[in-house]
Amino acid sequence: MTRTFMVALVILAAAVVIGLISLRGLRRHMQRMAVPQFAEEQARREVLAPPISTASDVPTKAEIFWAAGPDTLAPVEMELPLSADPAVRSKQLIEALVSRPPTIGQRTLPPGVVLLGFYVLSDGTAIADFSDTLASNMPSGILSESLAVNSIARTLASNVPSLRRLKILIHGQEAETLAGHVDLTGFFDLNPAPPASAPAAVATPPEIPAPHPVPAAH
Amino acid sequence: MSWARERAAVAGENKSALLDIGRGRGSGILAAVRHYLWLMIFLAAAAGLADQPAFAGQASAQQPPPAAAPPSPMIVLDPAHGGIDTGARGENGIVEKDIVLAIARTLRAELERQGFRVVLTREADTDPSYDDRAAAANAYRYAILISLHIASTGKPGTVRAYYEQFSTPLPPPASPAASPAAAQARSATPPPASLLPWHEAQQPSVAASRHLAEILQLELARSFAGSPAQPTGAAVRELRSVAGPAVAVEISSVSVSNAEMLTGMAAPLALAIGRSVDAYRAGSVAVPKS
Repeated sequence: MTRTFMVALVILAAAVVIGLISLRGLRRHMQRMAVPQFAEEQARREVLAPPISTASDVPTKAEIFWAAGPDTLAPVEMELPLSADPAVRSKQLIEALVSRPPTIGQRTLPPGVVLLGFYVLSDGTAIADFSDTLASNMPSGILSESLAVNSIARTLASNVPSLRRLKILIHGQEAETLAGHVDLTGFFDLNPAPPASAPAAVATPPEIPAPHPVPAAH
Repeated sequence: MSWARERAAVAGENKSALLDIGRGRGSGILAAVRHYLWLMIFLAAAAGLADQPAFAGQASAQQPPPAAAPPSPMIVLDPAHGGIDTGARGENGIVEKDIVLAIARTLRAELERQGFRVVLTREADTDPSYDDRAAAANAYRYAILISLHIASTGKPGTVRAYYEQFSTPLPPPASPAASPAAAQARSATPPPASLLPWHEAQQPSVAASRHLAEILQLELARSFAGSPAQPTGAAVRELRSVAGPAVAVEISSVSVSNAEMLTGMAAPLALAIGRSVDAYRAGSVAVPKS
């Protein structure tokens, strides 16, 4: 009886030890499972996005549109090394818009937003593919969502004259809305009038910011 | 005398007979008159209900008809979100979908008290699709849709009105078909029947919606200090498929400390909406849907 009890006690102790070891491993495993969403996006970004700085970059005074109050945007002039290529130049501008707001209060896009890709079609249509963070961390509301979209569109319109309209994708997909309000199924005006024999990209930004971007019907 | 008595007797019989006959005829005539009077009353009532279009037609031959009063619109209140779509959430537990529904119910009661006809796109914690919400307004011949929202941001206590704004379509690319001859051939071809695509049904009503939003925003600025004086054009998903005047109203914000601060804005909001719709009707010619 005593021997049997001792054996049972030993088995029980061994089970507890094994359980503790497993629990620690399980916790590590769960921590690893929590990362992949971000890691996947990071990997996608590294594969798809070439380095933003290029050999052709020229220090340029750019106008970046950040919040200037609860419902307004205002351009902030800052010197950035910008490429002559419209797609690369647009990436550089959006990168600055996301990561370099002068103050937290002027931020229009959620922190952690990643521009996964940026493409320019021959008709001047720009396609910006953002990470899920843009939608999931965006404060819901017509006001906040409009400010976010307008800050992107007006920054691009002001500094890349060859772009005529903008399409925003979320993680490679067309989204119906940004965070429940602003329609992303259409396009947003950048420089809707055709450029009058203008080069594909101009080093100096235009003086007048573009009008409010608006979405297009299909 | 006997003759006279006989005659009198005959006359008396005849008189009594005539009286009998007269009594029977008199009740028939009375009944006919009574029926005639009822018929006249009925016809007069029917003519009054029908606004007597035939008489108006006769008058139009003599003088131009007076301007028709704009019809009273059906106000379609659209409490945004619902169901699993909570909308904006505040740190103090305020949820947009619940507040907009509460405000919409108060608005309906207040606007009906002002004499308006009002319907809601949702009566409970459900989440109709964007198209269902638009269809609720499009089902009426003359309706005004007002979509209700609570923002995450903005100065608390301020209210903003939005109207739909579409982007500029790109012109078709230049091609050999764009030669002058081809353009002339195209211009000679009659345009196709104008069908209104559902996803851009708001397009013909953008000017009307903007006009309504301008009136409404002025009223909002008077009622809620700090609100802007001008409305904003934005790509609001709820408005895109509404085939008539449609605006979104967004109250700031879910960041307030308690929900009563937001629901308490419903009564002045109802007054502002009522005054705006009246002013809009007075200054606009209603164009019913074809």
